[in-house]
Amino acid sequence: MNFPANIQLYQIVIVIFSSIMIYQGFRKYITQESGQTLYKLTTRIIVWGGMALVATFPKITNLVAGFIGIEGNINAVILIGFLLIFLMIFKLLSAIERLEQNISELTRKDSLKKINNITKK
Amino acid sequence: MSFEKKQKNVFIILPVYNEEKIIQETLKEIQATGYKNIITIDDGSSDDSHQKIKEFDKNIIALRHKLNRGKGAATKTGIEAAKLLGAEIIVTMDSDGQHNPQEIEALITPIRKNQCQVALGSRLKNRNQMPLFKKACNWAGNFVTWYITGLWVADSQSGFRAYSIKVADQIDTKGDRYEYESEVIREIKLKKLSFQEIPIEVRYTDYSMGKIEKQNLTNGFKTVYKLIWNIIS
Repeated sequence: MNFPANIQLYQIVIVIFSSIMIYQGFRKYITQESGQTLYKLTTRIIVWGGMALVATFPKITNLVAGFIGIEGNINAVILIGFLLIFLMIFKLLSAIERLEQNISELTRKDSLKKINNITKK
Repeated sequence: MSFEKKQKNVFIILPVYNEEKIIQETLKEIQATGYKNIITIDDGSSDDSHQKIKEFDKNIIALRHKLNRGKGAATKTGIEAAKLLGAEIIVTMDSDGQHNPQEIEALITPIRKNQCQVALGSRLKNRNQMPLFKKACNWAGNFVTWYITGLWVADSQSGFRAYSIKVADQIDTKGDRYEYESEVIREIKLKKLSFQEIPIEVRYTDYSMGKIEKQNLTNGFKTVYKLIWNIIS
């Protein structure tokens, strides 16, 4: 795979930004900041690394388009982008729902303390 | 069996949210019917509802959610409390005075007679007084509930219901807000619980009408969204 002859400004920006994001991920993982897992780091590398790769080698999208059977590399990239965003939203909503239920459960336990005191007497 | 003995293990659950203007009147009416076991759950009201309840009668079990978690969550807290206190029959009703406490007896009689495990109060008695918008919302709620749960009931969104304690243990809901009422219908269908629909009246006072306006279309859409989300998530 050859480097593109003319490098555009957007490609430089994306590569620099992706590198910073991947570096941040590694730093957080190595210094063991709370909530940092290998899964999170891998996801970060795949997402930002993928963006940097596509920006550096735009022709790679032809391979992706051919692989998933969609005519036109841009269409394939947009479709994958949509799917990823959809998955992320779904995961986020599930996490919010779980948190909401946990908050309700904690609120309930707190309010039922009074009943527990009555039944103990 | 005397009325006093019969009502001993009946617990009335009232989820309360910003009802300081009407809550004492509602409690007074319930007590006038002879039912003394009342549990109120103030769902993080921003007004003095909780204080008003405590001032009204110290014998009322006044619980409080520190955060607003929704009508469904407050009702569930009340049911849990009633279970801990040894309830045999649990009645849930709205705290804004829409429901007539005189009809509690009609609601719990089929449960006492072992004719059913759940009694659903259906706002059918004075249906012609129901505002058109409310009628349309009610029908839409029934339709969505039927579509999702497979069980058609005349009033899927009514909060005036009675449960035997055995059933209260079985009903497993996740919804914290208005979707709770439809989730109960789903549980009735899934767990093949016996139920009866009891016609009740709704009192459309200026106060309750004001609240109806607050329960706007957005809330309706949120309820539908939550019901669908619970299926796909």
